[in-house]
Amino acid sequence: MIAGYVWAVGAPLACTLVGLALHPRFDLVNIAMVYLLAVVLVAQRFGRGPAILTTVLSVAAFDLLFVPPQGTFSVDDLQYLLTFAIMLTVGFVISRLAENVRVQAEAQAKLEAAAETERLRSTLLASISHDLRTPLAVMSGASSSLAERGERLSPEERQALARSLYEQAREMSERVAKLLQMTRLETGGLKLERDWDSIAEIAGASLARLRERLARHRVVLELPDDLPLVRVDAALIDQALTNLLENAAIHTPPDTVIRLRAWRAGEELVVSVEDYGPGLAKGDEERIFAKFEHGAAEGRPGGVGLGLAIARAIVVLHGGRAWAERLPMGGSAFRFSLPIEAQPTVPAEATA
Amino acid sequence: MTTILVVEDEPEIRRFLRSSLGAEGFRVIESPTAERGAIDAGTHRPDLAIVDLALPDYDGRELILRIREWSPMPIVVLSARHQEQTKIAALDAGADDYITKPFGVGELLARVRVALRHAARTPVGQILRMGKASVDMEKRRAVRDGTDVHLTPIEFRLLGALAKHLGMVVTHRQLLSEVWGPSHVGETHYLRIYMKQLRDKLEEDPVRPRYLVTETGVGYRLLAHEP
Repeated sequence: MIAGYVWAVGAPLACTLVGLALHPRFDLVNIAMVYLLAVVLVAQRFGRGPAILTTVLSVAAFDLLFVPPQGTFSVDDLQYLLTFAIMLTVGFVISRLAENVRVQAEAQAKLEAAAETERLRSTLLASISHDLRTPLAVMSGASSSLAERGERLSPEERQALARSLYEQAREMSERVAKLLQMTRLETGGLKLERDWDSIAEIAGASLARLRERLARHRVVLELPDDLPLVRVDAALIDQALTNLLENAAIHTPPDTVIRLRAWRAGEELVVSVEDYGPGLAKGDEERIFAKFEHGAAEGRPGGVGLGLAIARAIVVLHGGRAWAERLPMGGSAFRFSLPIEAQPTVPAEATA
Repeated sequence: MTTILVVEDEPEIRRFLRSSLGAEGFRVIESPTAERGAIDAGTHRPDLAIVDLALPDYDGRELILRIREWSPMPIVVLSARHQEQTKIAALDAGADDYITKPFGVGELLARVRVALRHAARTPVGQILRMGKASVDMEKRRAVRDGTDVHLTPIEFRLLGALAKHLGMVVTHRQLLSEVWGPSHVGETHYLRIYMKQLRDKLEEDPVRPRYLVTETGVGYRLLAHEP
């Protein structure tokens, strides 16, 4: 707002300097054009108020410095009154037009934001209805069989139904946890509990938790001994890493390698989960981090499509970045970086 | 008969705990509130308490503090996910271990058994077996693949602090206070360095430890076998 009025004063001033440089080799009409240009630009950029100010100042400066007799506001040749009138009119008209354009643009942006919210809401609903109602249907079916027909089933059948009930419930609890976590991250209701931690240790915990899910893949670790410690909320970074590893396990065929690497790059620690699956479609590198997105090549292979969005939100909260790359040899890498701070000291122990 | 007190406000979770603990031969006392739990703990003198951290009347942590005023009975807390700070507060208040909801019955029984075993035993000189490595805490001797391994005094103290709560979680704060002293409870990075050293010396795959286990954001757990 203030910037607009600064420009509104600055622009006629600049025009005056230009005008003085041109004068008297150029006609006064051309100098008037220079002022007109300023009026148009200010009107377009900053709207009505600044445009009117520019117009008034331009007319005043033009009259004072260029229109004979110079140095006064009186006018010898009455035709310049027409010039002033035109300059003022053009200023008002342009600023009015610019104002209209701006109002329309803002209304358009509001509409688009509303449409985006609406789109997110409907994908959220679609996602919830698909990802939560399917396991719920399985659970209510399996449990009603057990509750109402249990005595007619063989022990093996009962066992199988109970197990499927258990698995679906666990899966659903994972999904609900992800939805809740995304909401927490988005509403800023999450406070980081930072402490010094080792990425190798966090990775060890993630891998232990994912043992079953990663059982069909070969996980290769490249975590050098001398990695710096990072000051992070370990539970959250664990979750970000878990989501990347889970993502790799879901989207790659069994028996392929998943590589977990970390290295120091300047003032950042980079953690990379690399797989040898079908890889990302070109142009998907950014899109897959959006909420409820799945890669172009796939259907809905499981999950609510929040894993990568959550991972990114967590890393960004820590002052890092998260991104995906297509690997030159095929497959993809999902990476995040964390800032490295001055390392804490540990008193040396006298080794007897 | 071993008696377990369950302090939990959700009737369906109490029902599940009652039937699965009952099936294992435990007697189960149920309290729906912290207030009731404090009274039941006093009158029934259970061998172990399972305490939900989100109770309607007051904080599960308060209840733990109240029980700890007069009883060392093992306490296992039930907590929701993403609540590391609540877990830590409960553990530092005197709880022995935690289980994160939702949990399976296998996990629950494992925690209960470890806690009961811990309460029953007076820890004396013990030999910790960790796969191909073993550590004689009394003789201060560590062996791996038949060869002596040198552990520094701090490494022994750290291992000892974990061994005292064998199978149970020990918070960062508890470990730092016990090994380095109460003025060092904030220096979590000491633990990162020394746990790495211990794992390098004792674990077969130090990044994927089987015995010196990380409880992310909370502490560590030693899963060694005793002879």
